[in-house]
Amino acid sequence: MSTVESPSAVRKVVVHLRATGDAPILKQAKFKILGTDKFAKVIEFLRRQLHRDTLFVYVNSAFSPNPDELVIDLYNNFGFDGKLVVNYACSMAWG
Amino acid sequence: MDALSWDGTLTSRDFLVSARAFAEKWKEFNSAFPPWTWVPCPPKQPPCHLPQLQQQQQQGYLSLEKTCLPGSSKKGHVASQEDVDEISLTEGEEELEPVDNATLVETNNSPQVCYYDFHIVYSDSYRVPVLYFHGYYIDGHPLALDEIEKDLPACSAKVLLESKWTFITQEEHPYLNRPWYKLHPCGTSEWMKLLFLGDDSLAKNGVAVEQYLVSWLSVVGQVVGIRIPFEMLNNPKSCN
Repeated sequence: MSTVESPSAVRKVVVHLRATGDAPILKQAKFKILGTDKFAKVIEFLRRQLHRDTLFVYVNSAFSPNPDELVIDLYNNFGFDGKLVVNYACSMAWG
Repeated sequence: MDALSWDGTLTSRDFLVSARAFAEKWKEFNSAFPPWTWVPCPPKQPPCHLPQLQQQQQQGYLSLEKTCLPGSSKKGHVASQEDVDEISLTEGEEELEPVDNATLVETNNSPQVCYYDFHIVYSDSYRVPVLYFHGYYIDGHPLALDEIEKDLPACSAKVLLESKWTFITQEEHPYLNRPWYKLHPCGTSEWMKLLFLGDDSLAKNGVAVEQYLVSWLSVVGQVVGIRIPFEMLNNPKSCN
């Protein structure tokens, strides 16, 4: 991994959390996160907000991002209207 | 396919279409990685009547063989540390039989390298793709589940503890008839439905069968540590 910090890496990304299925809706659906943070941080935040251990989290282009992906990379590839839309459902992928 | 009434499953024919599209995309955008290849399979039983024959002609699976998982490099490090100790020890001694030396190196080093084979097989009963995998040392000796566990990402090890019988189980490979591990497919159609319904453009234009396996592997790959390049996810070709 690169240690050089490019200007775009330090910027913050607006993440819009959208409930699907029977998942509870968050009071605050949009929040800012550092682009250098991993997607795992978004998943962790959702788990704490919803008090759920298992969540199914995915992005608008019909895929579930790896927790190790950087938020800025996801935003640059799949963000639009200045935000990254992240869908979540309370179903379990396994079990 | 109409996305709203779609139940998240595939027909075996759609699986074939999706598998071909997936293998091509993988080759195009992930050329540094070994390719997924389609392995055609002869019908399991002699066909009794014609419609069955036509269906069985399309049977087969996608295969990615002899890959290393990211986690498996950890073992290699430990081994090399031990190797250094062994070498300095042997150098201190004057005379050594070369035969003994060779045995020493082999037992310490080579079994630490492990490979994984992955097969994506269509399940007729669940009507979804299923990931089968098999881990083995360089000498062909198979890895037990507790050894495989060390190579899996941390989140998988956690799920493995919680859902012992509905996550990774050992079963007979449908075509090879040998025991392989598989990821349980009972939830697959549910989360595939979620993935495709979440996309507004897909909901309008219908389900792109070609994109099915890419979406599927974005979830399944996380369990075993297979990453999908963004470029594969970026270009949903609308073939309607």
